[in-house]
Amino acid sequence: MPEPVVVTGLGIVSPVGVGVPAFAAALRAGATGFRAVPDEAGGTRFAAPLTGFDLAAALAAATPGVRREALRAARRSPLPVQAGVAAAVEAWQHAGLAGGAVPADRVGLIVGGHNLTGGYAFEHHPVYLRQPVYLPARYALQVQDTDHVATISQALGVTGEGHTVGASSASGNLALIQAARLIAAGAVDACLAVGALARPAPPERAALANLGVLAPPAEPACHPFDRRRAGLVPGEAAACLVLEPAGAARRRGATPLAELAGVATGLDATSLSTPSPAGEERVMRQALARAGVAPSAVDYVNAHGTATPAGDDAELAALAAVFGPARPWINSTKGLVGHCLSAAGAVEAIATVVQLRAGFVHANPGLRRPAAPGHRLVGATAVPAPIEVALSTSFGFGGFNTAVVLRRG
Amino acid sequence: MDDTEVFAAVRAGIAEVLPEVRPDEVDIDGTLTDLGANSIDRAEIVTLAMQRLGVTVPVAEFRDVHDLRSLVDLLAKHA
Repeated sequence: MPEPVVVTGLGIVSPVGVGVPAFAAALRAGATGFRAVPDEAGGTRFAAPLTGFDLAAALAAATPGVRREALRAARRSPLPVQAGVAAAVEAWQHAGLAGGAVPADRVGLIVGGHNLTGGYAFEHHPVYLRQPVYLPARYALQVQDTDHVATISQALGVTGEGHTVGASSASGNLALIQAARLIAAGAVDACLAVGALARPAPPERAALANLGVLAPPAEPACHPFDRRRAGLVPGEAAACLVLEPAGAARRRGATPLAELAGVATGLDATSLSTPSPAGEERVMRQALARAGVAPSAVDYVNAHGTATPAGDDAELAALAAVFGPARPWINSTKGLVGHCLSAAGAVEAIATVVQLRAGFVHANPGLRRPAAPGHRLVGATAVPAPIEVALSTSFGFGGFNTAVVLRRG
Repeated sequence: MDDTEVFAAVRAGIAEVLPEVRPDEVDIDGTLTDLGANSIDRAEIVTLAMQRLGVTVPVAEFRDVHDLRSLVDLLAKHA
């Protein structure tokens, strides 16, 4: 039996709050981050953007040395990287790692996400067309997804193993899964798992609309699992969790916020966006089995719940197959912050830990008439609920299925 | 274009890339490295100055630049 892995730090920058306390308050209140933004066709559509973010303000609570290094590393960075740095710094401080409790070369850093620089590249394209000589040299570094890893590592002085991982919209969950595996393999003694902020370029957004997965432009919110579900609404967030072996965390006096008790990931053998209930069911069952948890012992599911009809229906079918007559609470954090794409899994893992520790399940504000009977879906208000065991799922285009089990630490 | 205008463009690039540097610290006989610029900062300051001045200078010609004065001279030659 491998040593348990625990979560010891959380950090988040989201459309409903910067920092875990603000995010937790938004979860409790059922606050949403949706607003009209200019769209690619000259009109508007709804999204949950990160607005008014200021790196220096986000780092205000950090210890002076950490704050100085983070500002130095990221002050010229694109917003997605700055948001990742802010989330990582918060998690780092939350875990009590700022004083060198774990040697720098034993700390790992995994960033979940890929194609993170489409918006950045698109902004620079006119400069290139006008005069290639005027493209900033920094572009060569900043146009690479790995700039997230590099800049966060500089901000925190992390020198252990680090890299990106990609699994479309399941990238955030995959970062958690791979961080847990680095720890289990003995490669690191603590690992940051980051879900990177995704800001797709206008052509990527247009193609998502053409694919039919975006909510119609007039739709002011997304409604996971409601009969009105009409497509996803993009959101912008970065999130970070610190993982450590339970024994080492205990010995250094860190607070285990939750145990990452079981993880699973698998493919559907497809290049398409079509979800597979069988593939989703398989990873949910594997993650529960690896955690040694029976489906009937699960109190809460933080579902992928994108509010696309195909996605929600596939997931409800998979949940019905896994849980049968057991009826865990189900909600989708995407009903509050939209679909944060590469960051979604990390955002939702943080939401799960917050609810598990505080004993409630957050609202699905848009949920009035469930898309399918037989599920215990949270309605328009939060519900007090003791949670011992929770399951959080993320699925991605191209048949990426992931599930993680979190248990009270 | 006179050297004053070119130096002003370089100063503007320094102010953008190195916001902690006070204007009175920028000495025409000093270097960007003295001001705390790393290699990427230096390249970016030069690019910003070129863009502001509307000039282009082949990268190879920057080999002989060793301080702000020689940078200003090179940019002025192409202006």
